Amino acid sequence: MARILLVEDNEMNRDMLSRRLIKRGHEVTVALDGQEGIDKAKELIPDIILMDMSLPVKDGWVATSELKSEAGTKQIPIIGLSAHAMSGDHEKAIAAGCDDYDTKPVEIDRLLGKIDALLKS
Amino acid sequence: MTKMRKPASPAIRKSATPKKPTRSAASPSRPRKAAPSKKAHATHNGSRLAQRQSALLRLSSAIAEAQEETEIVDRVVEGLHDSALGYDFLALFLVDEATGDRVLQASRGWKDVPDHWRVKKGEGLSDRALKDGKLHYTPQVKREKDYVASLSTGSELDVPLKIGDRIIGVLVVESAKPDAFSKEDFEILTAAANQASIAIARARLLISERMRADEQKALLATMADLSSERELSKLLEATLKRAIDLLAVTGGELAIYDEQTKELVIVASYNIGKDSTGVRLKLGEGAMGTVAETHEPIIIRDYDSWSGKPTVYADVKIWSVMAAPLLIGKTLVGAMASVHSDPNRIFGADDLRLLNLFTPQAAVAIQNARLYNDAQRQKQYFEAVVLNSPVAIVTLRLDGIITSFNPAFEKLFGYSPAEAIGKDLDSLLNTAETLAEATQYTEQATEQTARGIGKRRRRDGTFLDVELAGVPVTVDGERVGIMALYHDVTDLLRANEEAKAANSAKSQFLANMSHELRTPLNAIIGYSEILQEDAADSGQSSFIPDLAKIQSAGKHLLTLINDVLDLSKIEAGKMDIFAETFDVKSVVDEAVTTIGPAFAKNKNTLEVKCASDVGQMHSDVVKVRQILFNLLSNAGKFTQNGTVTLAVSRENSAAVPTMVFSIADTGIGMTPDQIDKLFEAFTQAEASTTRTYGGTGLGLALTRNFCRLLGGDVSVSSTRGKGSTFTARLPARAG
Repeated sequence: MARILLVEDNEMNRDMLSRRLIKRGHEVTVALDGQEGIDKAKELIPDIILMDMSLPVKDGWVATSELKSEAGTKQIPIIGLSAHAMSGDHEKAIAAGCDDYDTKPVEIDRLLGKIDALLKS
Repeated sequence: MTKMRKPASPAIRKSATPKKPTRSAASPSRPRKAAPSKKAHATHNGSRLAQRQSALLRLSSAIAEAQEETEIVDRVVEGLHDSALGYDFLALFLVDEATGDRVLQASRGWKDVPDHWRVKKGEGLSDRALKDGKLHYTPQVKREKDYVASLSTGSELDVPLKIGDRIIGVLVVESAKPDAFSKEDFEILTAAANQASIAIARARLLISERMRADEQKALLATMADLSSERELSKLLEATLKRAIDLLAVTGGELAIYDEQTKELVIVASYNIGKDSTGVRLKLGEGAMGTVAETHEPIIIRDYDSWSGKPTVYADVKIWSVMAAPLLIGKTLVGAMASVHSDPNRIFGADDLRLLNLFTPQAAVAIQNARLYNDAQRQKQYFEAVVLNSPVAIVTLRLDGIITSFNPAFEKLFGYSPAEAIGKDLDSLLNTAETLAEATQYTEQATEQTARGIGKRRRRDGTFLDVELAGVPVTVDGERVGIMALYHDVTDLLRANEEAKAANSAKSQFLANMSHELRTPLNAIIGYSEILQEDAADSGQSSFIPDLAKIQSAGKHLLTLINDVLDLSKIEAGKMDIFAETFDVKSVVDEAVTTIGPAFAKNKNTLEVKCASDVGQMHSDVVKVRQILFNLLSNAGKFTQNGTVTLAVSRENSAAVPTMVFSIADTGIGMTPDQIDKLFEAFTQAEASTTRTYGGTGLGLALTRNFCRLLGGDVSVSSTRGKGSTFTARLPARAG
């Protein structure tokens, strides 16, 4: 069981992912934009952050690099999420400081595998 | 020789040439003179001698005074016919050099003999004198074995006429009596013959000198004419006509040599019995073809029986032909032929000499006219090109001053020649803003071609975008000026910008659309998956298959959208490569794992042969993964209950170390025709294929695009019904 911060602006994506994570026993907090993501991460210090890349207010790349550049949050693993595998988002996400990356629609088993791997390391 | 003379029968001659008594009666005033023989002893020896001396003197002075050859020969026979000398039957023949025949020039005492009666070489008694150049006396012609009874019955004396060693004719003196001539006659007649020879030699020299003078004159006139005539067709006709006049022939032809076809083309034809203009002769064909081949003139005495007479001239009746090549040095320009339709006019050395004088001049004149014509045509051609060119063309001095321009320039910039010629081009067309750049182009163009695109100003102050080129103009190795070309690209640039904007809008639209489509799709896929889980949890498993179908269809749609987006990105050149170093084996394993469920569905076995030393590659891993996945997916899709073999190896021997991925299946295979269209977007082997096997028809097109993007390519070999092998070859190090 982990404490997960899910930063996702799309309501249905947020709903689907949080439901499935909760169902598998995780504790999920949601944030609706990049700034809210930063604020909640600082406040809660979750075990792991799932960060969508296309976000209002502050996008996922900016939010990630801010979190990774602050002493209080930089140790929190972040998995970047983006809609398309081919767009170069992967590389951009890694460059911004994400520890891993996955594409949407999320294959839940693969994502859980990545979460487990990061939490163990 | 007398035996030859048919028309003069002895009877006629007897009656026509009266004996001395008759003559004495006819000319009583003259001193009585007996037959020219020592046997005739006159009582008034002294008076007779004086008369004879006087006659010989008259003969000498008459010969000396004569100018023309005809006059000379006539005076010789006339003088010898004098009653004081008493030679009744006299004839003078001159040799025709061309044939060796002798031709009667003048006679006395002979009746009914045709003018210019011709006796063939080797025939007649007088031929002997021609043969050895000596006087021959025949005291009794009847004793000669080839004597013909119908002719002279007495004696004959033949005295040759000689110029140096050359025998030019014979003086024939006959008498009705045998033994009529004495040594005295020999002396008189030899002296007369010698005098006549000298006079003829002198006359001939005069004639030939006069002729040469005439020839030179005619030739000069011809050349003056020809060199001023620049229209080739007129020149050719004039040249031929001149040659015909000069040679005094019946007609002729002129041909020019066509180097491309190696043929003579007859370009002028005059009075040869047909118009042969346009007839083509091969080298060696006919008289002109022969001289064109041998480069030597030719005389054909009897054209009709000449073996080389071409069939095109079968209908032409010509007697003799003289042809010569037209050469400049050793280069063949053409050929000329002259013809005689008179059988008695036979070409000789003089004609040939004349022709040889004429042909080199004609050749030069023709060649000049041809060169001039070619130059004119080329000039006209280029003038027409410039005049009609839609490109504005302007010529400049090296200092940039306008010297001329074409209508397109006038139209483009609005300046008339009066307004612009003499002005500096760059100042005329530029504002301060573009002047420096324009001047730079002009300076560059004095040395080499300068190209560029820039803004230029029209006369009315408006501006236009032009593509321009400045080219140095070189004549005989010397820079003489600049040619500048302007092409209006205002519309082109605008269209280009519009196209770019449109393309960018399209890309943006596609990116937006794919995002907008994906969001609801994600929901469909995600919720159908959640519902499947919930259905399983709540024991409502009957819903699961339908929910799985929704999820699968959603995923298919998502793949489609992604593929379309990728293709459009590649098309727009916006597909970037993110190269990184990765382990090939792990990518292969990943792809194999991903494809597993699809293979299981078609009951296919997947065999993987990945060499242990395959190692790492530096490339775009996402695209490599997709290439492998697409090829495996394709192989599994078209194979049922079969085997797909994936072989991975590294080729270090190639120029570039290459990773080779080979995917062989035992599926339906393809025909060569299907292979051709295989890698095109939205193309599957058959329309029915899509129904049976599914797929977007984009996978292989994308695969090929990805392979090429990474610096490699994909190829396929296939046998219908047996299976296919796809091979992707990618550089181990991309970019």
